[in-house]
Amino acid sequence: MAKPRRIAFVSPRFSEGPTVGGAETLLRQLAERLVKAGWQVDYLTTCARNHFTWENEIPPGTKTFSGITVRYFPVDGGRDLDAFIRIQDRISRFVPVTRDEELIWHRNNVNSTALYDHLRTEGHHYDKIVMGPYLFALVVFASQIHPDRTLLLPCLHDECFARLETIRDMFLKVSGLIFNAEPERDLAAQLYGLDVSRAHVVGMGLDNFPVDPEGFRHRHRLHAPYILYSGRREPMKGTPILLDYLDLFRERTGMDIKLVLTGSGPYDPPSRLSAHILDLGFVSEQEKHDAMAGAVAFCHPSANESFSIVILESWLAGTPVLVHAAGSVMPFHCRKSNGGLWFRNYPEFEEALSLLLAKPALRVAMGQAGCAYVQREYSWKAVEHRLEQALA
Amino acid sequence: MSTGSFEIGAEGVDAGQIMAEIQETVAAKMQSGAYAGAQLARAERFNLMNMKKDENFFDFYMESLREAVYVDINDFEILERRAVFAPLLVRVKRTLWSLLKFYTYRLWSQQNQVNGLLLSATEEVDRKYRDKIRNLEERLAKLESRLPPG
Repeated sequence: MAKPRRIAFVSPRFSEGPTVGGAETLLRQLAERLVKAGWQVDYLTTCARNHFTWENEIPPGTKTFSGITVRYFPVDGGRDLDAFIRIQDRISRFVPVTRDEELIWHRNNVNSTALYDHLRTEGHHYDKIVMGPYLFALVVFASQIHPDRTLLLPCLHDECFARLETIRDMFLKVSGLIFNAEPERDLAAQLYGLDVSRAHVVGMGLDNFPVDPEGFRHRHRLHAPYILYSGRREPMKGTPILLDYLDLFRERTGMDIKLVLTGSGPYDPPSRLSAHILDLGFVSEQEKHDAMAGAVAFCHPSANESFSIVILESWLAGTPVLVHAAGSVMPFHCRKSNGGLWFRNYPEFEEALSLLLAKPALRVAMGQAGCAYVQREYSWKAVEHRLEQALA
Repeated sequence: MSTGSFEIGAEGVDAGQIMAEIQETVAAKMQSGAYAGAQLARAERFNLMNMKKDENFFDFYMESLREAVYVDINDFEILERRAVFAPLLVRVKRTLWSLLKFYTYRLWSQQNQVNGLLLSATEEVDRKYRDKIRNLEERLAKLESRLPPG
């Protein structure tokens, strides 16, 4: 009998519950699929849950989730937060920093010496090591230990941090790269002069799910049409843009359209809009899918998405999407699927949303086109096939 | 509002085509002044970072900003939404407003001066860099024309 292939995933956090970001969810999903495909999977991560404090909340050691052996390592203490913030502030403002400053920034980011030691001593037992997202020092330093067997799953955005020399080195030195979508791969090629033959576009698979839009409307006494946003509410995700736009849309058009929010994070809507927002906070996957199915459109106002699982889910629920055009990935999905529209500014938002509200047949056709796209490109069968090719 | 001439053909919908129509409609409406004003400038405040690659829209934003820059310091109609004691409440508010007006007028006049200065500075910086870029492009074109063919 052939010896099972061994693979390690490396990420600052392991997705145990709903509070972890999309990249961690993606890594866990891929890890679970490889377990089913017969791989022996280790997941190397830190004991931290909170991505602001990085406190060691989970005891170091090993646990098993869905066949994945998760190994928890403590985050190093003694971070010089002043130095970290000072350099990060300069990077954020596109002020050039030296390579030494970049290294100081990384050293005072999230690191785990115990995890690096494990990789040094055990790394050669793994056939492949997949790590991400790109922005964390943990990934930058871990990628230097066995670059010949490391595949980076970066979840890359067009942002200031992507332009650092140390980040560029990481992209160029690992043995391969796994991207979520073609525009993300093209961005890496443009930023780093990457040889695209080392790059694989894999993404994440989604399964069909049942939906009950009427039940959702009834449960929440929603009689007016609504648009939905699911995810973290923060400026980087564009939620303030959505709040301002919808407030102005209601005023200019006189249409009574509501906003339904699921997810977490504070937000500060214009006072007139507050009464027209239904904030459900964290909800079950079923509730989220029902909310998607009942919406006029799922609106994603972020310019910083490397994949966007929620717009694919929205299409599976049969609902078109309305996305910000500034990020390249979401408009790419919309063009390729014909499942959504995009906007660069308020006037385009108003025209696109007015059109979707006025044309139910268009909404249905776009929702169906999006659904067909997800079933074709992002079924687990298609994703597993691409993943096997990337790991070959 | 655009509820345009889109069609769902045998091939389904064409999102690119719909977007082209939307952008055409928006351009025409911007030209006619349907999208202008202080509220629009305000709604774009969190979107400015995303507009850096869209030069035309920056011009449009500057135009909206010019309309929004001065705070309206004139008297306004005082209303009361609560039905109970509404006439009394309106009278109290009017009295308060007339007492405070001398103070708020001075405050907002100064604010308008600052806003005006900031707008002028922004316009000047914009003009200066446009001139600089135009001069550089002209120089570059001249230098390129001197290069031997091939």
